[in-house]
Amino acid sequence: MQKYIVRRLLIAIPTLLIVGMLIFTMIRLIPGDILIARLGEEGVIEGKAEEEIREELGLNRPFLVQYGVWIGGVLTGDMGESLWFNSPVATEIARALPVTAELAIFAVIVGLLIGIPIGVLSAARQDTVVDYAGRMFAMIGLSVPNFWLSTLVILYSAVWFGWLPPLVYRSPWEDFGGNLAQYAIPSLILGFSLCATIMRMTRSAMLEVLRQDYIRTARAKGLRERTLLMRHALRNASIPILTIVGNQLGSLLGGTIIVEFIFGLPGLGSLTLEAIDHRDYPLIQTVVLFGASVMILTNLLIDLTYAWLDPRIRYG
Amino acid sequence: MVDRDPLVRLSAVTEHGALTVAGRGVTTGIRGLATFAKSKPIGALSAALVVALVLMAVLAPLIAPFDPNATRTGPSFDAPSWNNLFGTDRFGRDVLSRIIWGGRSSLTVGVTSVLLGTVIGAGFGVVSGYFGGRTDILIQRVVDALMAFPTLVLALAVVAVLGSSTLILIITIAIVVSPLASRVARGSALSVKQEVYVEAARALGATAPRILGRHILPNLMAPLIVILSVQIGFAILIAASLAFLGLGGSPTDVAWGSMLSVEGRQDMQVAPWLGIFPGLFLSFTILSFNMLGDAIRDVLDPRLRGGTAK
Repeated sequence: MQKYIVRRLLIAIPTLLIVGMLIFTMIRLIPGDILIARLGEEGVIEGKAEEEIREELGLNRPFLVQYGVWIGGVLTGDMGESLWFNSPVATEIARALPVTAELAIFAVIVGLLIGIPIGVLSAARQDTVVDYAGRMFAMIGLSVPNFWLSTLVILYSAVWFGWLPPLVYRSPWEDFGGNLAQYAIPSLILGFSLCATIMRMTRSAMLEVLRQDYIRTARAKGLRERTLLMRHALRNASIPILTIVGNQLGSLLGGTIIVEFIFGLPGLGSLTLEAIDHRDYPLIQTVVLFGASVMILTNLLIDLTYAWLDPRIRYG
Repeated sequence: MVDRDPLVRLSAVTEHGALTVAGRGVTTGIRGLATFAKSKPIGALSAALVVALVLMAVLAPLIAPFDPNATRTGPSFDAPSWNNLFGTDRFGRDVLSRIIWGGRSSLTVGVTSVLLGTVIGAGFGVVSGYFGGRTDILIQRVVDALMAFPTLVLALAVVAVLGSSTLILIITIAIVVSPLASRVARGSALSVKQEVYVEAARALGATAPRILGRHILPNLMAPLIVILSVQIGFAILIAASLAFLGLGGSPTDVAWGSMLSVEGRQDMQVAPWLGIFPGLFLSFTILSFNMLGDAIRDVLDPRLRGGTAK
C-alpha cells in the first residue's frame, strides 16, 4: 500500500514538471507582458524605467533560469509574488480556494442528489418510459452549455419573475444566508451538468451489478426491492460512481471558469482569467500547477478509497 | 461543463474506461441503415438531425434569407416576424441568417478539430503502445500533463498565444481532445501487440511501420470512430465557450457562442430572441452529436449491447 502510494506520487512529479513547463512557456509566448499592462501611459512605475523593473522582477534572466527559480520556489513552499496584485501568490490562492471549494462541493452534492436516484431508477426499470426519460434528462444536462443556462437565468429571471440572482460576492462569515443564496443558482447549474454524468454512470454500474447471481439470490429469498437496490446493488455499484464523482470534484476544484465569471464569484476560475488578462506570470503558472496537482491528488485518493469500499482490492 | 477534463468526458459519454471494440457484425449499406433505424430509433433520429445540421451548414449561402452581416434587414430589435423569422438584433441583422452561418462555423470547427486531434492523438498513442519503453514513458507523461491541465485554461492559453482565427481555434481544440484518442489507441495497441498474428508477422520479418499499418491500425478503427463521434459535441461546446469569452475566431466570423456573449446581454434583455434562439441551436446541435455518438458506441461496442444478460 505504502509502496503503491509512493510510486503514484513519484509518477506525478514528471507530470507536474511538464504541466509547469507548458504553462510557463505558453504564458510567456502570449504577446504583451505584465510591464506593458502596468506601465500605462507614463512609461514608468514608481519612478523606475522599464528595464530597471524587469531586472528587479528577474524577467530578463534566461528562460530556463526563470523556470528553475520558479519551480524551486514552489517546491520549497515559496510560490512567489503576484505581479498584478503585488501580494504573495499563496495569499491569492488561499483567498480564492474557499470560494471555488464551496461551489464545487455544493455542485457535486446537487449532482449526486439528482443523479443517483435517477440512475438507480433508470436501471431498475430498464427499457421503460422511466428509463428513457431519465436518459434523455441526462443527455440534455450533458449537452446544454452552462454559459447559456446561466445567461438565461440571469437575464430572464429578472424580466419574468422580477428577481435577480445576487452577483456581488458575500463571504459566508459576513452574511451566511446571502452567501447561500448566491451559490444556489450556480450550484444548481453546475450540478445539472454533473448529474448527467453521475446518472449515466450509476445506471450502467447498476445494470452490471443487477445481473449478478447474488442479486438473484437476494431477490429469491424475498428481499424488499428497495433494500435490494440500495443495500445490495448500489453499494457494489459505487466504485465507478465514486471514480467519476472524484474526477468531477478534482477538476471543479481547479476552478470553474465560466460559471464563476458569470456569477461574479472570486474563485480560482476568475483568478485564472484575471491572471491571463494581466499576463501575471507567477500567478497564472502557480494557479494552473495547483489545479493540476489537486486533480492528480484527488485521483490518487479515489483509487485509495476503492480498498475501503471493496476489501478485496489490495495494492501491490 | 467545459471545465472538465477529457477523461471525465470520456467516461461521461462512454461510461467505461478502456474501449475494446470489435467491428464485427456491423452490416453496411442501406440494409444496415434500416436495421440500425429499427434497433436504435434514437440513434437514427439523431443521425437524421446531424445530417440536417450538416446540410444547413453546407447550404448556408443558399438557405439563409439574408447575408449574416447585412445590417438593416429590418428594424432594430424587431421581434420574430415573417420577414425575420427569428427577429433582428441591434443593427437590424437577421438572427436566423446569423444562426445558419454560425452553424457552419460551429460544425467546421467541431468536426475538423476532432478529426485532427484524433489522428494526432492516435498516432502518438500507437507509437507509445507499440514501442513501449522510454518512448512510452515520455509520451505518456506528456499525455498525463495535458489531461491534468484544466481544459479551458489550456484552450484559453493556446488561443491567447497564437491569436484568433478559425484555423488556430481548430488546432487549439485538436490539442485539447487529442489525449483521449491517444490513451485509447495506446490501450488497443498494447493488447493487439500481444496477438499471435502480430508475433507471426514479426517473425516473418515485417517492419514496424508495416505491422502498425497492416495489423494494428485496422484494429483501432472502431474505437477511434467511437471516440471521434463522442467528442464532436464536446469540441463544439469548447469552441462556443471560447467564443462566449470573446476568444477564437476573427471578429467578422459569426459564431453561436459570441452571439450569446456577455457584451450582448443588455440587448438580450430588450430582445429575448437574441438570447434564446442561438442557445437553442447550440444545445440542440451538441445534443444531436452526443446522442449519435452514444448510438454508434452501442453498435460498435458489443460488450455494451443489449439489456440484462439472461
